[in-house]
Amino acid sequence: MKLDLTKDFAEYAKDLNQASHDENIQKAMTRAVKSYRDTTAETMKRYPHTPDLALEVQGIKTKAIENNPDLLQQAMASVERNKGKAFYAKDAAEAVALAAQIIGKGKTVVKGKSMLGEEIHLREYLEEQGTEVWETDLGEFILQLKKERPMHILSPAIHVPREQVAEIFSKFFGKEVPPDIAAEVAQVREFMRDKYFTSDVGISGANVVAADTGAMVIIENEGNVRLSTGAPPVHIVMVGIEKIVPTFSDAMKVAEVTWRYAQYGIPGYVNIISGPSKTGDIEKVTTYGAHGPKEFYVIFVDNGRSLMARDERFSQALHCLRCGGCMYECPVFQVTAGHFGYTYLGGIGSIWTAFVSGGLEKAAPLLYTCLRCGRCVERCPMSINVPEMVGQLRKMIVNGEQIAQEDLTLAATVGNVSQALSS
Amino acid sequence: MAVETKLPPVLDIIRSNIVKYGNPLAMKGSEVASWAKGFNLPKRGDILFYTGGEYQLLPFIDSLVKTMTHIDQGSKGFSLMMGVRNVLDKAGFNAEKVYASVLAKDRDRYNRVCNKAAHILQRLGYDLCYPGDEELYSGALLYELGFWEDLKEYAQKVVDMIERTGAKTIVCLSPHAAEVLKLVYPQLVPGFSAEVKTFVEMVWEQRDKLPAIPTSKPVVIHDSCRLARELEIDEEIRDILQAVGVPIVEAFRNKKWTTCCGGPSKLLFPELSHTMGSRRVDELEETGAEIILTSCPYCLASLEGGQTKGDKTTVEDLIEFLYRGFAA
Repeated sequence: MKLDLTKDFAEYAKDLNQASHDENIQKAMTRAVKSYRDTTAETMKRYPHTPDLALEVQGIKTKAIENNPDLLQQAMASVERNKGKAFYAKDAAEAVALAAQIIGKGKTVVKGKSMLGEEIHLREYLEEQGTEVWETDLGEFILQLKKERPMHILSPAIHVPREQVAEIFSKFFGKEVPPDIAAEVAQVREFMRDKYFTSDVGISGANVVAADTGAMVIIENEGNVRLSTGAPPVHIVMVGIEKIVPTFSDAMKVAEVTWRYAQYGIPGYVNIISGPSKTGDIEKVTTYGAHGPKEFYVIFVDNGRSLMARDERFSQALHCLRCGGCMYECPVFQVTAGHFGYTYLGGIGSIWTAFVSGGLEKAAPLLYTCLRCGRCVERCPMSINVPEMVGQLRKMIVNGEQIAQEDLTLAATVGNVSQALSS
Repeated sequence: MAVETKLPPVLDIIRSNIVKYGNPLAMKGSEVASWAKGFNLPKRGDILFYTGGEYQLLPFIDSLVKTMTHIDQGSKGFSLMMGVRNVLDKAGFNAEKVYASVLAKDRDRYNRVCNKAAHILQRLGYDLCYPGDEELYSGALLYELGFWEDLKEYAQKVVDMIERTGAKTIVCLSPHAAEVLKLVYPQLVPGFSAEVKTFVEMVWEQRDKLPAIPTSKPVVIHDSCRLARELEIDEEIRDILQAVGVPIVEAFRNKKWTTCCGGPSKLLFPELSHTMGSRRVDELEETGAEIILTSCPYCLASLEGGQTKGDKTTVEDLIEFLYRGFAA
C-alpha cells in the first residue's frame, strides 16, 4: 500500500504558519501561557506536597494500566451493583451507537466537556440522528456556535477573544451582546438554565473512575456538569477505559494532581457520581430518581486504548491525566495552539492521534512537528516521555510499519465484559 | 501489510546524503576538515576531537532552508527541483551545495568555530587527534527523523572510523552528536564503549586554566535542550563563565526548563522554526544581556536567524566566547 503525505504536510505547514501569524491566537496564547505559569507556580507554593503526590500517582497509573482489563471488569460490576448500567464499547462506532440507543429518538441532550466526545464525534453523530445537543461548557458552547474544534483540551476556546465572542453571541441570540466577559457569561447562563431542566439526557465524561466503588470523579469550575448531570432524568457517562484506578482513595489522589497541574488551584466543584439518584425516606423503600436522574449509564470506551496499553513502548501515554500543562510549555503550541493537533493536541496528542483518532496517517505531520525538545516531560506530572514515543512512531512510519490491530472482543472477554454488554 | 509512506522529499535527501556521503548535505570530507589546516593533528591518539561536520555545514543548511522557505514542498516546482538535483547528482555535482552555496556567507565564521575549539582544548592541555577528511557525521538526524534501520548500519561505519583513531575518549562539539553517541550507539553497536564527552565537560574539568575574559557586561546562557535535558549539563557552563570572571544573568526559562530554539523543525517547517527562534531571542533579551551564549551549532544558527533588525544582542557559541580570552 502506498500513502503520499507530501500534500498533507504542505497544507498542514501552511495552516501552522497561518496560525502563527493570527493575532487572536497570539494574543490569547500569550495571556494563557503567562496565566498558567503564574497560577501554577503560586499554587505549587501553597500546596508543596503536590510533586510528591504526582510521583505517587505515577505509580498508581502505571499499575492501573497494567491491570486495566481487571479494573474494567471491577468498575463495570461496581456500576451495576450501584443500580447503574455499564457498557464496554470497543470502538467509536459502538460507543456512539450505544449512546444513541440509550437516548432514543427526538430527544434533547445537555453535554459536559469531554475530549472523548470529540474523539468519537459524539455531538455530530447525535445531531445527525435528530438529537438536539447543547454543549454546556462555555468554551465548547462558543465552538459549537463557531463550528470549530477545540484548540486546547481545558480551555477549548483559548484562541477566541471577547470581541469575537460578542460577535458570535450577538448573532446567535439575536440581540446586541457587548464585548464584556461578564455580560457574555450572563447571557449563556440565562440561556442554558432552561436547557438543563427541559433536557431528557445529560452526558458527561469523567476525569477518574474508582473501580472499587464505581465512582465517577468529574472536576469542573463552571457548575455546568453539576447541572447537566443532576437535572435531567437520565445521565450517561462516557469515559475512556484508561481512567480507571483501583480504589476511591487512589481516585482522589489522581483528581488532586489533575486539577493542580490543570491550573485549577482549587476547582469550584468536584462531582462524585456512583449511581442514579435515590431515596429511602418513605418506609425505607429505596426509590430511584428522587431529585437527580433516575437512570444512570456508563459507557467505557476502548477505541485503541487497550492496544496502547499492551505495547510497552506506548502504554505510558495512557498515564496522561489531560491536565494540559504540557501544552503551555510547548514552543510549537505556544504559537499555533491546537493547530498543532488533530483531535488530541500537542506532542502527547500526536501519540493519541496515532492510536485512537486518525491513525498514523493523521499523526504523521504532528509527529514531525514535535521538536522532541522534551520540556513537556519536565512539566508533565506523570513525566510521560513524549519525545521517546515520537521517535518510535517516526521509525514506524519510515519503516512502513502499522499499528497492530487486534481483535478487541478478545480484550473484552478477557475481562468478562461482554456479559455486561448484552445485559 | 506494510505501508510505504511518502514524506516530504527533504527528509529522504538528508537521509540518503548521510548514508551515501557521511554528511547531511553531502559535503566532501576535505571540506569538512578544511578548518584543521595548520594544526597537524595526528590521526591516532587518546582523545578524538569530533566535529561531526556540524558547525561546518550550518551556513549551507541555512541557505538551503532560505531557498526552501520560498518553495512549497508539495508543489510541482519542488519535485522538479528534486529532479534537477538527481540530474546534477548523476553528473557528479552536489546539488544541495549548488543551491546552498549561492547564499552561503558565513562559511568562514563557522569553520573557525572548530578551529577555536581545538585551540582551546590544546591550550587546556589535551592531546587531540583528528581523522581529517575521514571524519563522518554522527547520524543524529537519522535517529531524529526515524531512519533507525539506516542508523544501525551507518553507526557501524562511524564506530569503525572512531576505532581507527584508537581514541578512548571522544570530545563532541555538538550535543546532538554526544547524545546519539552516548545514549543510542551502545544499543546499536555491540561492544561500543568509548567514553563520550562534550566540549563543555572537557573545558569544565580544566576551567582553572582558562584565561580571564575582561568584561563587566553580563551574558545570558541559552541552554541547548539536548545538553540540559538528555545530557544534564547546565551548571558546568555557569561554572566555566564564573571561572573566567564573566557575570551571568539568567533567563526566566533556563537549564532543564530551557526553551527550544526551534532548530529541529527547520527542515520541514522553516517559517515556524524561525518564529520560535525569534521568540526565544526575545526571552533571552528580556534579561538585558547583550551577549547570548549557547553551546550547540543548531541553537547558534537558529538564534542568530531569529534576531531581528535593531537587536543589540550578539549570539555567540561558548567556543567563540572562550576563545576571546586566548586571543586577547
